[in-house]
Amino acid sequence: MIGVQDFVGYYDWTFAYLQRTYGDQAVRDYWVRAISLDSQRHARALIEAKGFDGMAEYWGHTLAMEEAGYTFQRAADYFRIDMFACPSKGYLDQHGLAAYSDYCEHCMGWIKPVMDAAGFVIHHEHNHAGQCYWEMHRAGQAAAQVPPDRGAHDVRRLPPAVWQQRRRHAYVASQRVDQEA
Amino acid sequence: MAAGDFYFVINATFRYLHDTYGKAALVDYWTAMAREYFADLAERFRAGGLEAVRAYWAEYFAREPGADVQVRRTEQAVELDVRQCPAIRWLRAAGRPIAPCYCEHCRHVCGTIAAAAGMSFTLAGGDGACRQVFRLQEGAA
Repeated sequence: MIGVQDFVGYYDWTFAYLQRTYGDQAVRDYWVRAISLDSQRHARALIEAKGFDGMAEYWGHTLAMEEAGYTFQRAADYFRIDMFACPSKGYLDQHGLAAYSDYCEHCMGWIKPVMDAAGFVIHHEHNHAGQCYWEMHRAGQAAAQVPPDRGAHDVRRLPPAVWQQRRRHAYVASQRVDQEA
Repeated sequence: MAAGDFYFVINATFRYLHDTYGKAALVDYWTAMAREYFADLAERFRAGGLEAVRAYWAEYFAREPGADVQVRRTEQAVELDVRQCPAIRWLRAAGRPIAPCYCEHCRHVCGTIAAAAGMSFTLAGGDGACRQVFRLQEGAA
């Protein structure tokens, strides 16, 4: 059977299979329809109903299950996750797996549609090495720029040898702002 | 890592492929995964024979959340008595509609891995409980 203990490996392989069989757009369609709308319907329901509280409830449960290394910040106007050790990317790196060219992009692929529907925008950056941040703001209330330093737990404070070790992809208010690789 | 909510993703992936591209596309996805992603596992089974098959599945099901599976080795086969499929159990507990043909993935994925390892694979039952058998093919050591 296909189980969950080694799920990340064939999840990454699935992206590559869809891309080569049906094209780039099929991968994005899969993230929206299969993951965002179907698989993660519980996240969608929580966030649409409870906003920031729903985000805390969903990611508190999920990241604890996955034994991730992360911190949360809850402010009046944003909800933020700083990820220091992404368990999925860590699994792929530890096992030498990289079937798809940009595994990390799948998170934005399913989370952005959830936030769009719930009325939030995302400031986000990932470094393809297991570190990233997510900062959700209510739509219409987010600054149109990268968020300021958020303190001791801001992942961007990691040494350059860590945070800048690989190319980074950045989004401001849910829009991609870096150059496409 | 054994986060049971990943069963939601697996289930949704099967449904997406089935509903978007059709049953044949879903079967192609399963067999391609078995040939490519699980190529090393097939080689492990080929090299290690039935003992490798037994050891793999005994360890695998011990780490799947909620699984109740007995793995038994005989002279010519390894039998998996799946009393409680962890995936079906998890999906039902969450009230998730189970994708069409969900149980067929075991037949296609394991069948393809077994064939590459010089074994046959049979499956009887489904819907949360089944019996799966990896058997040495005639003439195999």
